Amino acid sequence: MNNGNTPLIQLQEVTKVFLTDEVETHALSGIYLDIRDGEYISIAGPSGCGKSTLLSILGLLDTPSGGSYSLKGTEVANLSFPERARIRNREIGFIFQSFNLIGDLTVYENVELPLTYRGMAANDRKQAVTEALERVGMGHRAKHLPSQLSGGQQQRVAVARALAGKPAILLADEPTGNLDSRNGEAVMDLLRELHAAGATICMVTHDARFAQHADRTVHLFDGRVVEDNLVAA
Amino acid sequence: MLNDLRFALRSLLKTPAFTAIAVITVALAIGANSAVFTLVNSLLIRPLPYRDASRLVLIWEQFATMGLERIPVSAPEFLDYEKAIRSCEQIAAFDYTAFNVGGEGNPERVSGAAVSPSLFPLLGVDPIAGRTFTLDEQGEGHDDRVVISARFWKRRFNSDPGLIGRTILLNGRAFTVIGVMPATFEFPIPLFGVQGNRFAERVDIWKPIAFTKPELEARGSRSYGMIGRLRDGVSRAEAQGEISTITAEFIRSHPGNYDGGGFGATVYPLRDQIVGGMRTGLGILLGAVAFVLLIACANLATMLLARATAREREVAIRVALGAHTWRLLRQMLCESVVLALTGGAFGVLLSIWALDLLKRVGAQTIPRLSQVTVDIPVLIFTAAVAITTGVFFGLIPALASRKPELTEALKEGGRGSTSGAASNRLRSSLVAAEIALALVLLVSAGLLMKSFARLQEVSPGFNPHGVLTAELSLPSLKYPDNKAIAPFFQEIIRRLAQLPGVQAVACADILPLSGTNSDSSFDIEGKVLVKGQPSPDEEVRSVTPDYFRVLQTPLLKGRLFSNSDTSDAPLVAIINEAFAHKYFPNGDALGKRITFDDPKKNPAWTTIVGIVGNIRHRALDLDPEPEYYLPHAQSAVSSGRSGRNMILVVRSAQDPRTLAAAIRREVQTFDPDLPIARVRTFDDLVSESVAPRKLSVVLLGVFAGIALLLAAVGIYGVISYLVVQRTHEIGVRMALGAQRRDVLTLVINHALKLVGIGTAAGLVLALFATRALGALLYQIGPFDLVTFAEVALALGLMALLASYIPALRATRSDPMIALAHQQ
Ligand SMILES: Nc1ncnc2c1ncn2[C@@H]1O[C@H](COP(=O)(O)OP(=O)(O)OP(=O)(O)O)[C@@H](O)[C@H]1O
Ligand SMILES: [Mg+2]
Repeated sequence: MNNGNTPLIQLQEVTKVFLTDEVETHALSGIYLDIRDGEYISIAGPSGCGKSTLLSILGLLDTPSGGSYSLKGTEVANLSFPERARIRNREIGFIFQSFNLIGDLTVYENVELPLTYRGMAANDRKQAVTEALERVGMGHRAKHLPSQLSGGQQQRVAVARALAGKPAILLADEPTGNLDSRNGEAVMDLLRELHAAGATICMVTHDARFAQHADRTVHLFDGRVVEDNLVAA
Repeated sequence: MLNDLRFALRSLLKTPAFTAIAVITVALAIGANSAVFTLVNSLLIRPLPYRDASRLVLIWEQFATMGLERIPVSAPEFLDYEKAIRSCEQIAAFDYTAFNVGGEGNPERVSGAAVSPSLFPLLGVDPIAGRTFTLDEQGEGHDDRVVISARFWKRRFNSDPGLIGRTILLNGRAFTVIGVMPATFEFPIPLFGVQGNRFAERVDIWKPIAFTKPELEARGSRSYGMIGRLRDGVSRAEAQGEISTITAEFIRSHPGNYDGGGFGATVYPLRDQIVGGMRTGLGILLGAVAFVLLIACANLATMLLARATAREREVAIRVALGAHTWRLLRQMLCESVVLALTGGAFGVLLSIWALDLLKRVGAQTIPRLSQVTVDIPVLIFTAAVAITTGVFFGLIPALASRKPELTEALKEGGRGSTSGAASNRLRSSLVAAEIALALVLLVSAGLLMKSFARLQEVSPGFNPHGVLTAELSLPSLKYPDNKAIAPFFQEIIRRLAQLPGVQAVACADILPLSGTNSDSSFDIEGKVLVKGQPSPDEEVRSVTPDYFRVLQTPLLKGRLFSNSDTSDAPLVAIINEAFAHKYFPNGDALGKRITFDDPKKNPAWTTIVGIVGNIRHRALDLDPEPEYYLPHAQSAVSSGRSGRNMILVVRSAQDPRTLAAAIRREVQTFDPDLPIARVRTFDDLVSESVAPRKLSVVLLGVFAGIALLLAAVGIYGVISYLVVQRTHEIGVRMALGAQRRDVLTLVINHALKLVGIGTAAGLVLALFATRALGALLYQIGPFDLVTFAEVALALGLMALLASYIPALRATRSDPMIALAHQQ
């Protein structure tokens, strides 16, 4: 998988400007960032520096105002809505701070959801969902509703949902933000295991302790990358 | 309280769209209810315009075994009743008549009645000017007095007080006007249903009854209605008992007059006679508006629920700050009551306007419709309904949000979308119920409309298009010679036939679908009756030769009448197909003879010379009955009809209304004192015959439309709210790669689920409800599958449309913003 030459993700001079009430907010001002297959990156920086914005651009939830974004060698900065939805569905796995499980659906159905959008056959779905739930240790809770789970369990389900479709990259925006430290540790351990098994992860976190888990930390300030450290293994 | 009110108003004005939709919803429902309740109140509940009307009864005779019910009484019978009866304070006889009003001004024909002098005191209504009849002002030679209506007084005499005591010319004879009855006075009221006349027009002139000598000798010639006032403390059953004794005595003392027909008489409460026929229709409408109200209430409740949920945080903060439950409840109730009352006020205005429209459309054909007004009881009823609606349906959401989950509601983000599941379920059930109710209304309206459409396609047995009708009556004072009458009409017809554009002209004494009829008994040559078996009795009309050519009713066998069928020529008759089937099933009717005399005493025979097609005479939805026709020139000879009151029918190549002036001119050159009356096209006459049905179709259709609209608003509201509520979820789904159509399906599926449940429930409900329509349906069953399917489909499409807009909005949402929504 890792061919070492073309990065999985390549951002070049990416900018993002928000226009609200005729006030321009430069959330990102010229980001250069490469992410290679199998990397575990953590993004850090003060509040409002543009971490979430960067992540949503990486996840194709939002389009950059300028610059180029290539994913697996393809330019994706200016794709149409359906195209972006398709890539989100196949290549990106999201893990949110507030889990964002759908309350009306069971654990199983939540994990299954992105696979349904992909039009995967029922049998394959079943296998993928079961596998993903087993992987995060939630196989025994498949029939539960999110409200019947603890926060840590919910986030593990959210991780399962993110990886069930075997995406190219997992994006996590403060995945431990709503968890106590013990549960937070558990989720972090899970991410590290996934990484060890080959997953590419890009995570935003405030917590310096958790940032240690990653092999590389990117520091943002005022919409720019100000530091890019490879953590010594 | 005032504070609450102010707060309610302020918060309602802050959300104008919500307030407008809520007010319109309530206005439509309350408007429909207040309109129908006004109808019910005016037509069924409000006392009749007579003193102590509950004690008034109509007495009709019957020949039960012959299937003759509610038939009038004859002059000798009336006098016998009058002498014998004890259970009534008074009884009075009345008969419909018409006057050619002469003297100054245009000649015109005015509806009138001949009544016993006792009628006015019996009804307990006093004149506004002059007096009514004294008991000796009746009978031939003593009947030259009239009482007129305030309406006629104003129209023709400009309410001149000097008219009292003066004479006016009626049918060429001088009558002294002795009194004027108030504008509200009406007698007889249409639906009295006196056989042969529906009293389609209000009576403007009352003259004293004057039984003629032949009348006093003809015990079997029944043409008078009879009304009585029960004595205080006498029940209807007691009166019935007495009447039965009297009729039994009739049979005993007049053998030969009441042979074997199951003769008797029945006492009917006056009110039943008037309102009986409207009860079903109004009952159905009442049910329909109740449904509309329920739908509106459900809508209001879902809207208020959504509003309450949206305010959950506000309420939670208030409760956290120590607000009392009761205070919050009061505030919410205040809001919904303000909404309901405002809507109610608009609703009343709407109903006044709608009733006005209704009066203009249906006043001619619906008895007492002109007196329909919104009055205090209606307003009280409406206010009560509005307040109940407001309180009750404000209470549901108020109670639902009374104890907010404080910790949940106050927590930013929360744990996902579990909160509000109960109120979502409630809202969804309300909308499903709305759909079910709307479906019932739509199915009912659909069935009635189809019935009406099928009725319109029914061939009446003649072609009413292009025919003008007008009434013409020759007063006996000016035309005393019975022999001159037929030649007179012949001459008029000859002249009219020469008018440009006229294709054929004829006269008849009775027209089909006009609400009048006349029957006569006869005997068939060679058919010996078993002792006690009554002679056959069928509908009879007197017509001039071209009648069937004007009506374009086909001649099936034999010949039509011609000008040579004069009074001196052999007597002839034409029968219709039904008559031929009934009496001559072997197909040998032509040439057979009938008589109106005693067949044993060398009678005058009338020969059947032709058979014509059937005509639906009583109503389009009733099968044609046996009828026979006599030539106008002979009918005075054969059956003793005067033939003075005839209806002209003129077929024209152009729009028949354009002929009216020419016809009037032609008649006037013939006799300047002779008015022609009720000039109208045959098409109008036919459509008037179905007007009451049309009215119920239109009203039910309108209510069903309102129901559909409200249900659509309900679905739209619930789905919109759902979309807002699920913005975050939709954002998550999009982040996971949902395409727009996935989101669209998600939302629309939800709507379709509601519709599915509502439709299923509605279909079951409709199975019960449509049975009530039975009597109003024509050539369609109450469970007509096609109608059910069409309505379900239409509702489904409507739901699709109503949910499509919010669904589309959902797909436009930006996942970024959606996700930011709760983070
Ligand atoms: N939709 C938006 N419209 C306008 N401005 C926005 C929008 N989203 C983000 N911003 C602005 O862009 C800048 C970067 O925001 P972003 O959410 O990326 O910060 P962050 O680094 O994630 O902060 P935090 O650590 O607090 O989550 C901020 O100034 C923010 O106000
Ligand atoms: Mg952020």
